[in-house]
Amino acid sequence: MSNRRSFLRLGAGLAAGGLAAGLPAVATAAPATRWDEEVDVLVIGSGFAGLSSALNAKRQGLGKVLVLEKMQVIGGNSAINGGWFAVPKNPIQLAQGIQDDSPAELVKDQMISGRGMADEAMLTQIAEHALGAYHMCVDAGVEFRKNFNIQVGGHNKARAIRTKHGTGGDITTKLYEAGKQEGVEYRLQHYIEDFILNSEGEVEGVVVRRGYRFPDQKTGSLVRIKANKAVICASGGFTRNMALRAAVDPSLDPTLDGTNHLGATGEVMLAAMAHGALPVHLNMIQTGHWGSPDEGGFGWSNALLSIGWHEGISVSVLSGKRYMNERADRLTCSTAIMKNRHQDGTPAYPLVLFNYNDHPDDDRVVRALRDEMAWKVDSLEQLAEKFNVPLAELKQTLAQWNAQVTKRTDPDFGRKMDTAVKLKPPFVVSRIWPKVHYCMGGLKTDMGGRVLDCRTMQPIKKLYGAGEVTGGVHGHARLSSTSCLECLTMGMIVPKTIKADA
Amino acid sequence: MKRVLISLGLMLALCNTAQAGDLVKVKGATKGRTNHQFIYEEGCKTCHQGSARKYVDDSACIDCHGNINDIEVTRELVLEEANPHKSIHFNQGASCLACHAEHQTKAPVCSECHRTWFDEM
Ligand SMILES: Cc1cc2nc3c(=O)[nH]c(=O)nc-3n(C[C@H](O)[C@H](O)[C@H](O)COP(=O)(O)OP(=O)(O)OC[C@H]3O[C@@H](n4cnc5c(N)ncnc54)[C@H](O)[C@@H]3O)c2cc1C
Repeated sequence: MSNRRSFLRLGAGLAAGGLAAGLPAVATAAPATRWDEEVDVLVIGSGFAGLSSALNAKRQGLGKVLVLEKMQVIGGNSAINGGWFAVPKNPIQLAQGIQDDSPAELVKDQMISGRGMADEAMLTQIAEHALGAYHMCVDAGVEFRKNFNIQVGGHNKARAIRTKHGTGGDITTKLYEAGKQEGVEYRLQHYIEDFILNSEGEVEGVVVRRGYRFPDQKTGSLVRIKANKAVICASGGFTRNMALRAAVDPSLDPTLDGTNHLGATGEVMLAAMAHGALPVHLNMIQTGHWGSPDEGGFGWSNALLSIGWHEGISVSVLSGKRYMNERADRLTCSTAIMKNRHQDGTPAYPLVLFNYNDHPDDDRVVRALRDEMAWKVDSLEQLAEKFNVPLAELKQTLAQWNAQVTKRTDPDFGRKMDTAVKLKPPFVVSRIWPKVHYCMGGLKTDMGGRVLDCRTMQPIKKLYGAGEVTGGVHGHARLSSTSCLECLTMGMIVPKTIKADA
Repeated sequence: MKRVLISLGLMLALCNTAQAGDLVKVKGATKGRTNHQFIYEEGCKTCHQGSARKYVDDSACIDCHGNINDIEVTRELVLEEANPHKSIHFNQGASCLACHAEHQTKAPVCSECHRTWFDEM
């Protein structure tokens, strides 16, 4: 298969998927033997996985390392992430007196959540590198919250630490700067369009759209960059690719927004698949029921609802009534929320409300009101009018709720009432709708991060993968704080593999 | 470059309210910033090396304005962390073009998730 033909084939495949309409003809103009540039290791994407891979490739002495990023900022999902990082035996955990945690304990939790579909060997390898990844961050200048280590959903131990500002940006900015200091080169607005393979099926380099302006597929000019030792795919997930999302999981309602950065569109994964890479678990896509339609991405809603779900209630704007157990799991709540629709099928965003006077100075409330993704209303009348809820029903719902709080029972939905509070105005009110969050699926790699060819189950030579673009690691559901761990860790392992393979 | 800097100094002296610069018609259908008027007089190549269609990287901005972390945000910040020139998500790793555009209005990158208080981009 000549490179030229393989490119054409890819182009056709993408066009059929409706992704790359209008790829200009120049794409195939230059012969594959002519390169515009040459590096040793080429990293696609600048999130946790890409930044860690690049830094460690440099540290492994692999030579010239180039990171290409299509967006105008470094960091992808990692830069906007919540900054939760699972590290068994981290120093804060030990100082808290928790001595009985271990990598194996973490893997035990992950296997349960993976519902039999997770990769135990891979998870074990990752967990065993957790402390190493933690120290890589600290050495690069990353600050974590002092004395902060808590137990997050699905974990059996408190082992999640969090960055100072509560965002992965605290990690990406520091790894980026460390890489720069150690000689890694980064370029923005460089969109990887395809891989170039030689006649032996070995990856030789990539076709790049230089000067690309997201999301315009026609911007920039094409250059070919040769990678002597490796191309590492660290291009993240694909939740923002609506056509692909719908194709692999039709249950994801098109009205669902996403928490991911806009560039999470998956084309690098698809290009690798077009050259034979094996995809796994593509239909396993995680959704969060804690989104607000009044802000983009992840936003503040999740934090605000940690008050709302516990102390307040969620009501339907259509009926003025509660419609679910506000403390049920993600899937149960998402399903119940999405049943709230107007007659034409458009979302009738349900409300969540709780008492303003119980939390006037709480950070979560202050910034939600400031950013107008939640509102303070002074009476039920005002609430009913602002959100067009039937007032009489709403009044009845609140009276009934307050009576239930007294009795600590919820006969309608069986909610656990230990944290429930009697509601009285003024209220904090926000609107909710689920958001698509994380791709468990992606390219299948071996333990060293070599991307496997589906026809041979052998590695595609010189093609490696790390982070959310890879699949099959977490199985059915990834636990909170474990992607940061996976990405940083695989970024340490993959360069070692490359060194061994070179 | 020296010449550019001198004319920039002049511009700032003449109009010390120069913020992002209003977007006005400069040539044909092309719009540009009032505070860059002097650049337009010298032609597109001041920023676009080679051809106006070519990719402009940040060096065109940095030559005159300095690196992202060195540029003070003059308006009062709503919260300390909302300093786009020392962003907790991107810091040095943001292109000027993530928030600013020369020939059109642009929504800053933070507005993908947050409400922002910067409207002249
Ligand atoms: C809002 C949010 C909060 C989260 N919170 C947490 C948390 O607290 N803890 C946790 O463990 N996990 C969390 N996650 C999940 C975790 O952040 C992601 O799974 C992880 O950041 C993925 O890292 P990555 O390096 O694989 O991909 P990314 O960080 O997404 O980086 C991939 C990069 O590749 C670039 N790219 C893609 N295609 C191309 C191309 N064709 N050419 C060039 N570049 C390309 C993208 O633009 C992007 O910058 C969160 C996710 C989100 C969205």
